[in-house]
Amino acid sequence: MALQFDPAYNRRKRRLQTAVFGLFRLLSYAIALVLFVILGFIIVKGISVVNWTFLTQAPTDGMTGGGIWPAIVGTFYLMLGSALFAFPVGVVSGIYMSEYAPGGKLVAFIRMMTNNLAGIPSIVFGLFGMAFFVTYLDFGDSILAGSLTLGLLALPIVIRTTEEAFRDIAPSYREGSLALGATKAQTIWHVLLPMAMPRVITGLILSLGRVSGETAPILFTCAAYFLPKLPASIFDQCMALPYHLYVVATSGTDIEAQMPIAYGTAFVLIVIVLVMNLVAGLIRRHFEKKLNTK
Amino acid sequence: MVKFVENELQNIRKEISDMWMLVYEQLDNAYKSVLNADVTLAEQVAAREKRVNAFELKIDSDIEDFIALYNPVAVDLRFALAMLKINNNLERIGDYADSIARFVLRTELKPADRVLFEQLKLQQMYETALTMLKTTLSSLEHHDIAQAKSVFEIDETLDAINDQAIDVLVAYATEHPDAVRLCIELAGVFRKLERTGDHINNLAEETVFYIDAEVLKHRRTLAKDGDEA
Amino acid sequence: MNKIEAKNVDFYYGSFHALKGINIAIPTGEVVAFIGPSGCGKSTFLRLFNRMNDLIPGARLEGQILIDGNDIYDRSVDVDVLRRGVGMVFQRPNPFPKSIFENVAYGLRVNGVKDKAFISQRVEEALTSAALWTEVKDKLKESAYALSGGQQQRLCIARAMAVQPSVLLMDEPASALDPISTAKIEELICELSSQTTIVIVTHSMQQAARVSNKTAFFYLGEMVEYGETKKIFTNPEKEATQNYITGRFG
Repeated sequence: MALQFDPAYNRRKRRLQTAVFGLFRLLSYAIALVLFVILGFIIVKGISVVNWTFLTQAPTDGMTGGGIWPAIVGTFYLMLGSALFAFPVGVVSGIYMSEYAPGGKLVAFIRMMTNNLAGIPSIVFGLFGMAFFVTYLDFGDSILAGSLTLGLLALPIVIRTTEEAFRDIAPSYREGSLALGATKAQTIWHVLLPMAMPRVITGLILSLGRVSGETAPILFTCAAYFLPKLPASIFDQCMALPYHLYVVATSGTDIEAQMPIAYGTAFVLIVIVLVMNLVAGLIRRHFEKKLNTK
Repeated sequence: MVKFVENELQNIRKEISDMWMLVYEQLDNAYKSVLNADVTLAEQVAAREKRVNAFELKIDSDIEDFIALYNPVAVDLRFALAMLKINNNLERIGDYADSIARFVLRTELKPADRVLFEQLKLQQMYETALTMLKTTLSSLEHHDIAQAKSVFEIDETLDAINDQAIDVLVAYATEHPDAVRLCIELAGVFRKLERTGDHINNLAEETVFYIDAEVLKHRRTLAKDGDEA
Repeated sequence: MNKIEAKNVDFYYGSFHALKGINIAIPTGEVVAFIGPSGCGKSTFLRLFNRMNDLIPGARLEGQILIDGNDIYDRSVDVDVLRRGVGMVFQRPNPFPKSIFENVAYGLRVNGVKDKAFISQRVEEALTSAALWTEVKDKLKESAYALSGGQQQRLCIARAMAVQPSVLLMDEPASALDPISTAKIEELICELSSQTTIVIVTHSMQQAARVSNKTAFFYLGEMVEYGETKKIFTNPEKEATQNYITGRFG
């Protein structure tokens, strides 16, 4: 008997497919829309405030006037400081976990703890930073204490990306180097690190982008409500954009007058984060082209 | 890969060439031993037959190795197959040279027999066969199809001389009853030379097959049968 | 004179008995091919010769492996010194993220060679012996990744040859390459055999037949047969070998 196909069934299944894909498309458009609304809101509200004076002056008139220059500088100091801490420590730990002790119970435990570390709310980091760096090590409220606290926050991401970057390198590159009489350390330094570096740096920049927007960890460790001067040493306090945003939006003498400044601050913060993500993407693409192993 | 194959092919080519020259020399010496009643030369031919046989086995095994190790295709495969058959045909020609030499050893040839040889056109028969053998080798070495095919024509001369030889021998035996044995032996020699011609035909056919992938075997005889019909 | 000798070698990955009682003698200057179906242990065995399996946790070796008569698993052996003398080429080309020149110089540098003129000379010699010099001599400073797959593999061979190893291990060196590149690698193997003893693992029986003097057939962790390649491919002693090389199993 000849095989009989039902043409109506084919029409039905195509209609169903069209409907389902339509729904998917709608949902993804909706997400993009939400993002555009948020960005648009900040841009519309904030861009009118941003001008040269806003970027280069300290706040004046009890936060109702002037600019946010000390907060921008403070944020950069904190990012730099946390990078200086998280990068070496994170990369070294990641290399250790991937290259020196793979597969062991200890590493599995460390990896679990690292993941847990990433899941701890940032306010807890702030509390720890205050107890350990500010009080116990007696750094006081300072850029140093703030940077270390933010660095701890960035650490799990740096460790993870480093470990994964090393792990993703095909074993034959390690073996190729070892087979020539190189030691493990020579292999890591001369072969693996250059191969992993683009991903490690990308991970670091992304983590700094995140860290730069954190308020809670610096709340108790570093951030100042208002400083007319720029910090002179790592033991000074500093202002920071996210904290400044929080302050101008919630407390002060004249909230109404402060609101445009809050939007301007938010705008600057978002631009910094977006630029960093963009830079990370560019670095990755650049190195991937150079290291194209296909 | 081409390089390995090239080396091996070169080696087999050289071996076949050497085998060919050896067999040619055997046939030539057997001829001279008959012509000059040269027992020493005949002994030498009989002794060298062992070398021919050993060489055949060596070439066979080299070609087997070549096929097993290099899986030749196309022209290389035809070459290997053709050389295998050429090798076997050469060995058969070597056998004939040996048995002709043995005929010299067991028969006391007299100078008077030369007259008979001339009547039989032994010299022409032999020289034709030797020329064919040489021509075919040259056609293989120069990849000359026309030259290889020319051998088939010459072979007919052998057939003709052989046919005539029987008549001559029958007449001679009738006149000289004491020489009947010699005549039968000589009939055997001519028969062998005629068969040698057939084997040289095979050599030429394999040469053409290798060079041109053309299967000549049997087709030629079929065509001839067709003409006669 | 035997370059490599294995005596009663048993090898385990944890509880898995990967190699069973293997004895083999590899003469100096020969090309020896290891063939056999996937998982038969031929690669594992090859990697014992430069102690690459040391990297695998839970691996255990019984028996002896001698190179030039010395037990390479002896405590007194420095594994990096051993590996300098026993080069290896891998299945996929694995050039380092460096220039062509630095790739070849790498083995010299990690072994403490500093003399620049000497390094340049060795790099040229190694690239020449890998039949790559004429193709790359004008772009030594370019990234190794700019080369084609076949060129990269020859670069890896040059890199291994730069430290003048007396043994070269090749683990399916042409399995990721196209037929033309494969042919070049095979030619190279024949030429390098004048400088070093070569042990090659291959999935291609034709390749083993073409390049090797001797062939060992492995099956299920055992070495079933070892002998002259001509013999193995025309008249193997064991039926298992015959079945494998004729494609009847495996």
